[in-house]
Amino acid sequence: MIQPAAAPAWRGLIPWVAVFAAALLLLLPFDVGGEQTPAMLARIGLAAAITLNVWLVSQLPFRTQIAVAWLQLVALFLLFFWSFGLSYAFIWERLPSLLGLGLNRGFLMGGALTLFICIVAIVASTLIALGAALARLSSNGLAVGIATFYISFFRGTPLLLQILLIYIGLPQIGIVFSAIPAAIIALSLCYGAYMAEIFRAGIQAIPEGQREAARAVGLNEGQIMRLVVLPQAIRLIIPPTGNQFIAMLKDSSLVSVLGAWELMYLARTYGRSEFKAMEMLITAALIYWALSISFERIQARIERHYGKGVRVD
Amino acid sequence: MYVPFRRSLAVAFASALALAPGLAAAGETLDRVMSRGSLIMSTDPEYPPQSSLNAENEFIGFDIDVGTEIARRMGVEIEFVTPSWDVITAGNWSGRWDMSVGSMTPTKARAEVLNFPAIYYYTPAALVVHEENTAIDSVEAASGTSIGVGVATTYENYLNAALEIDAVGAPSFEYRVSDADIRTYDTDTLALDDLRLGDGVRLDAVVTALPTAMGAIEAGYPLKIVGDPLFLEPLSVATDKGDEAFDTRIAEIVKEMHADGTLTALSEKWYGADLTQ
Repeated sequence: MIQPAAAPAWRGLIPWVAVFAAALLLLLPFDVGGEQTPAMLARIGLAAAITLNVWLVSQLPFRTQIAVAWLQLVALFLLFFWSFGLSYAFIWERLPSLLGLGLNRGFLMGGALTLFICIVAIVASTLIALGAALARLSSNGLAVGIATFYISFFRGTPLLLQILLIYIGLPQIGIVFSAIPAAIIALSLCYGAYMAEIFRAGIQAIPEGQREAARAVGLNEGQIMRLVVLPQAIRLIIPPTGNQFIAMLKDSSLVSVLGAWELMYLARTYGRSEFKAMEMLITAALIYWALSISFERIQARIERHYGKGVRVD
Repeated sequence: MYVPFRRSLAVAFASALALAPGLAAAGETLDRVMSRGSLIMSTDPEYPPQSSLNAENEFIGFDIDVGTEIARRMGVEIEFVTPSWDVITAGNWSGRWDMSVGSMTPTKARAEVLNFPAIYYYTPAALVVHEENTAIDSVEAASGTSIGVGVATTYENYLNAALEIDAVGAPSFEYRVSDADIRTYDTDTLALDDLRLGDGVRLDAVVTALPTAMGAIEAGYPLKIVGDPLFLEPLSVATDKGDEAFDTRIAEIVKEMHADGTLTALSEKWYGADLTQ
């Protein structure tokens, strides 16, 4: 009988050598050397420290690993920003306006305006998407034609172009929107088109048997859609829809070209006014990120709510 | 498969209507301004010292003061709106705002979509390089280098040898930079941001307004101005096409402001020099 050879102990080291080599490779473009230490020695030292760190973290329980990874990445991020030598006094001075604690011409501004635009656009785009998805699935040829044309156009052209078409193009035929309504309409139409396809997929994913069973117990078609299909489809629709809303939050920065005082517009304008662009852009990035995280949390809650009664293994 | 389409259409339609407040019709500008009791001026507050926002979100700058004074002499309040430069220069304002006091050069192409009733001052265009640059020691030496400019600005036109200023009494000039590798930016300050990264990192030079360049240098940008100005551009109030009475009124007011020294005083306040002659 042939004994299977025991794996030699050095095999276990291979991943760590790989981590070390990768860290060293990543550090190569950076000039990390000091007055006393040659750059290569410093790189080797840093790469060893990184490898040790990865090994230490790998010994922790799963949840702690996640937390430690987040903390370390956030620290690295802060270090990166700190290295720019930013003017924190300037950030502090303009932060309230960026967040939107105040009014511009009697209306919201900054982060508050961004949020307002997005929330109205979320409601409107959901209604539009539901209408377009139902039209697309109907047996009325005209409705299908209109819905597919709408979806094709608004998915097929850049959002920036749609914003400008609505703001500058529509007045040529006498319809004049001011900046904020134009922004909301453009975002709603654009995202309504994407979401119509998500809704359609969600509705179509409900097995035909469900409808047949509902018909058998005497429900009419409207009731089948409202009481049987949509409640089940919602569970499938929510995760990709949440994705769309987070994308919309960031795409709302495109409406800054219309001069609406939303977050991106103010960040750009303040930065350029005082020649401190980096300060404002980083601050805006962090505010967008915080808003996205709260959107993610809301999505998770809604998912849990609609996931009730469904066992997910 | 049957779906209750009518009802969903009705919902979509109702929500579209609810979102359509700002419906307005364009009328005679002067009537509109007088009956509203306010003059709405478009400005791009990314260009100190012409126009910028201070910490209290107030508009400050030379253009702002000039616009405020025009409104005062018209007997109305001033209001500011901030559409992007492209949107302002596209014309067809549809009555969203009444005039632009935005240091705009009256070029032939712009005059096709906008009116230029009154020139209120002149800005020198300057060539800027990184302070470590030694190769570009004159305006002519910038030929063949990569130069950043704001998109759709007169500086871009100048580098393309396609600058046609459409104004009476505009000073003449020559094209002194040839074969530049032109890099266009959303605004002039972005070009300056790229130039500050280092000599030749992304750009060798930037062409912009002298006051903008001086503002950047004052704010600590490691830049310097080379040679004498490339050209003097007349800068004008702009209005939408179609209301001669309004244009005439603005022309009268700016003429008064030239004559009584108001413009000179404002120019000295913001630029430290009289640029109005």
